[in-house]
Amino acid sequence: MRRAHYLMTAVLLLATLLLAACGGRPVAQTGSTDTPPAGAFNLDDWASVVAAARGQTVNWYLWGGSESINRFVDETYGVPLREQFGITLNRVPIADTVDAVNQVLSEKEAGVERGAVDLIWINGENFLSLKQADMLLPDWSRRLPNARLVNWENPAIYLDFGEPVEGYESPWSSAQFQLIYDSARMGEEELPRSYTELLAWARANPGRFTYIAPGPGAFQGTRFVKGALFELSGGADQWLAYEEALWEEHAPKLWAYLNELKPHLWREGATYPRDENELHSLFANGEVDFSITQAIAGAGPLIAEGLLPETARAFVFDDYMIGDFNYVAIPRNASNQAAALVLANLLLEPELQAAQILPENGFGLGYAIDVTRVTDQAQLDALSAAQARLGEAATPAADLAAALVGDSAGAYQTLVEEGWREHVLLARQAQVARGVGQ
Amino acid sequence: MRGANLLVTFRAALLRRATRAVPGALCIALLVGPIVALVVYACSTRWFFPQLLPAEWTLTPLLRQLGSPQTRVALRASLLTAGVTTALALVLGLPAARVLGLWRFRGRTLVLLILFLPTVVPPLAIGMGLNILALRLGLAGSLLGVVLVHLVPVLPYTIFALLGVFARYDEGYELQARTLGAGPLRVWFRVAWPLLGPGLTVAALFAFLVSWSQYLLTLLIGGGRVITLPMLLFAAVAGGNPTSIAGLALLFAAPPVLAIALAARALAAGSAEVGQQY
Amino acid sequence: MSSGRAPFLIWVALAPALTVIGLLVGVSLVYGVAQSLGAVPGGGEGRLSLDAYRSLLVGPTPAAREFWPALGFSLWVSGASTALSALGALLVAAALTARQRQPTGATLLVLNLNLAFPHLVWAVALSLLLAQSGLLARIAFALGLIDAPAQFPVLVRDRYGFGIIMHYVSKEIPFLVLIVLAILRTQGGQYDLVAENLGASPWQRLRYVTLPLVLPGLAAGAALVFAFVLGAYEVPALLGVRYPRMLAVLALEFFVNPDLNRRAEGMAISLLISVLTVMVVGLGRVRWSA
Repeated sequence: MRRAHYLMTAVLLLATLLLAACGGRPVAQTGSTDTPPAGAFNLDDWASVVAAARGQTVNWYLWGGSESINRFVDETYGVPLREQFGITLNRVPIADTVDAVNQVLSEKEAGVERGAVDLIWINGENFLSLKQADMLLPDWSRRLPNARLVNWENPAIYLDFGEPVEGYESPWSSAQFQLIYDSARMGEEELPRSYTELLAWARANPGRFTYIAPGPGAFQGTRFVKGALFELSGGADQWLAYEEALWEEHAPKLWAYLNELKPHLWREGATYPRDENELHSLFANGEVDFSITQAIAGAGPLIAEGLLPETARAFVFDDYMIGDFNYVAIPRNASNQAAALVLANLLLEPELQAAQILPENGFGLGYAIDVTRVTDQAQLDALSAAQARLGEAATPAADLAAALVGDSAGAYQTLVEEGWREHVLLARQAQVARGVGQ
Repeated sequence: MRGANLLVTFRAALLRRATRAVPGALCIALLVGPIVALVVYACSTRWFFPQLLPAEWTLTPLLRQLGSPQTRVALRASLLTAGVTTALALVLGLPAARVLGLWRFRGRTLVLLILFLPTVVPPLAIGMGLNILALRLGLAGSLLGVVLVHLVPVLPYTIFALLGVFARYDEGYELQARTLGAGPLRVWFRVAWPLLGPGLTVAALFAFLVSWSQYLLTLLIGGGRVITLPMLLFAAVAGGNPTSIAGLALLFAAPPVLAIALAARALAAGSAEVGQQY
Repeated sequence: MSSGRAPFLIWVALAPALTVIGLLVGVSLVYGVAQSLGAVPGGGEGRLSLDAYRSLLVGPTPAAREFWPALGFSLWVSGASTALSALGALLVAAALTARQRQPTGATLLVLNLNLAFPHLVWAVALSLLLAQSGLLARIAFALGLIDAPAQFPVLVRDRYGFGIIMHYVSKEIPFLVLIVLAILRTQGGQYDLVAENLGASPWQRLRYVTLPLVLPGLAAGAALVFAFVLGAYEVPALLGVRYPRMLAVLALEFFVNPDLNRRAEGMAISLLISVLTVMVVGLGRVRWSA
């Protein structure tokens, strides 16, 4: 590593000199000559943060795949940022959060102290990458003024995909795994309410069900499989800590279940959808009868977006529907940290929380804050009014609460994903044939 | 009798035409079908199987996209980036291609290997390295940096298109014109351009198209400060909404279509002029 | 071809292009190689080793077991796409120039229209057209040929990569046609005319006049297509199945893996793709000249 570093430095130096010589341009500034972020502030003195943030531009990297979400972000967050705090919001639309992660990693490698990314909408895998690389601003999220509205005792909040949050990221919204069906195609009473019932349903309706292939970047598929693991092993709580023996005991049952399901799947399990988009499209076009969502507003945002028919409805099994939170994080080298902090705090404002769960605003995700901690009556009214406007495409709140479980320890993520490829996707045809024979 | 004969001939001709037309029709269907699909999707929503035509037509999403300030800013940034990149690619590519096409010299193979390196190495392998380099050189976050890095995927295609032309170019024409007393400008416009025109047009077109479509490099090097149309388009593809994708794709395609049309005209018209040269 | 020009001028002409590409790509490659040898982006703990290559080529991990099938699948898709595109381009170009009158700008425009769309969007559009519930399937349904999407043949996301190949063929034919036409435009029409006047059949003209004329350019263009198809991940990720996957898709999965150490393997695959390209193209060149 050390020698490689020397080599690289030498090559870079040469490259810099050459380019400067050829182009006749001055040698560009490198990270070491950068000035520290302007406008010092003290996180425990919020007024100093707000003062330092004034006039800054906050570069917010977030997934830009939804027109309605983009518009909502520009209007709901961009306008108050500008009008109340004098901050300009530069929303950088990215196709995949991993692109933002790579930007930060490259900046670290290049020694850039004033980075391009100020705030990232981040989750699980990408959070782990940046935390591993020690490139996240530490110890800030619990010190935001609005952090008092967050229930930090909740493991679903202080763990992100099993990885301790430890003040590195601040929650923005909550989500829960649900399924979607088309009320024009089937009645509520026909819905499977457990993984066992799902298998029976798939047998009776061959080719009409499929799930997203688990793997890096496709956590929804992993989540579906984890739910099956919870049900087959008779409980979710035991998976909160990593225990090899437990995995060894139950994993074979999981693969057996999924292989039993396989021949009855769409295209007989020869392939699986890559992501939510593909599954939504299969569902909307009548190739399969179920899709999935993480949104508390259920199918609502997807209907509003035009991705699903208006008769689409969300539902849950009776148990083992994994819920978790979405977060924002600030890179250690962010140029506009004060503005990023103001924005992260703004995201937790009760009125804006109430706005973001509405299906027509694109997200339809749940509250990050604990409603019981809100004391202001007007804010409480706004929150409960929004809750009442989720529409009929949402899963009833009572069903969601009854089925809610937390995610498993982070170590299971890779085990599930790699195991699934090996034992399910690449399983011998013989296993499939046996499944057909049953 | 004669009428029947005519009919047979006619039928045979028709059949021949049909058999000849089928591959062509398939080809056209594959080339044009997806574009037709995009146009219809851009003007509709919730268009699902088995509807042959959309039940819900709407121009709202398309118009909203066209009207959004971010789209306008991105369009301008894209035009600027691709335009400057194309010009720079030609300026850098022309002398290199001329030398490589006309002359054999020691080290020529190595030079070709280096120049075509970007086409051989997958973008994944050099994207991050390019970003780190641009950051170290202080080029990140600026249009200049983006243009410079665009040259990496663009130059090979430019040089490639020019090479093919120079390989068969005879400097004798220029020499002859100069001997006959033509100045350099005159030589360029009356001799070199008519001969090189088609190749140069294709080279410029390739340069423009390759630069115009860059997503990852712009995102990385631009550092969020240079937002171009492909960034909006690729983000839309990640969202999977056919209406948004199709709308942005059509907007995205408009300038390239214009460029292709110009190039096609030049290619079609150029032939006559070149013919006169012989 | 002459070689009498002052070498100095030659290098002056080459310097700008060489500097830009050599420098930017060269340094980036150094990073790439270092990363494939275990240097962690962001300068974390790591030691230089060939572990990534070893675990890919002979390792016991499931990912390693997928390397060789991915290699075979990549070669199949890239080879078939390249061969079909080159053949198609040759036929289209021949058809365009064999006609009595010159192709109009409009014909060329229609032919090249899809160059205006990036690969990713073209793949989305093809999938909207050809999927089991796509527009073709809807026409089949309207005609009463099928009752449900599942009855429509699998044209994209198929096990054999036909969907991916179809994408690249439709996208690369216009590219190669442009190259061939540019050559034929610069010279060639006259040869063809001469051959025709001498009584050559269309096939003879294609075989003995057009082909020799365009072959070097077409072969080089085909090499570009091959390299591109082998290294790109967007299209196979969208139009392919979960297994078998192309090498570039495999590499991408390692790149998005949260464990930064796995990136060494992703980088190793990317570099192996480069080596593979150089080998195949080099082999083609040798065969060609022999």
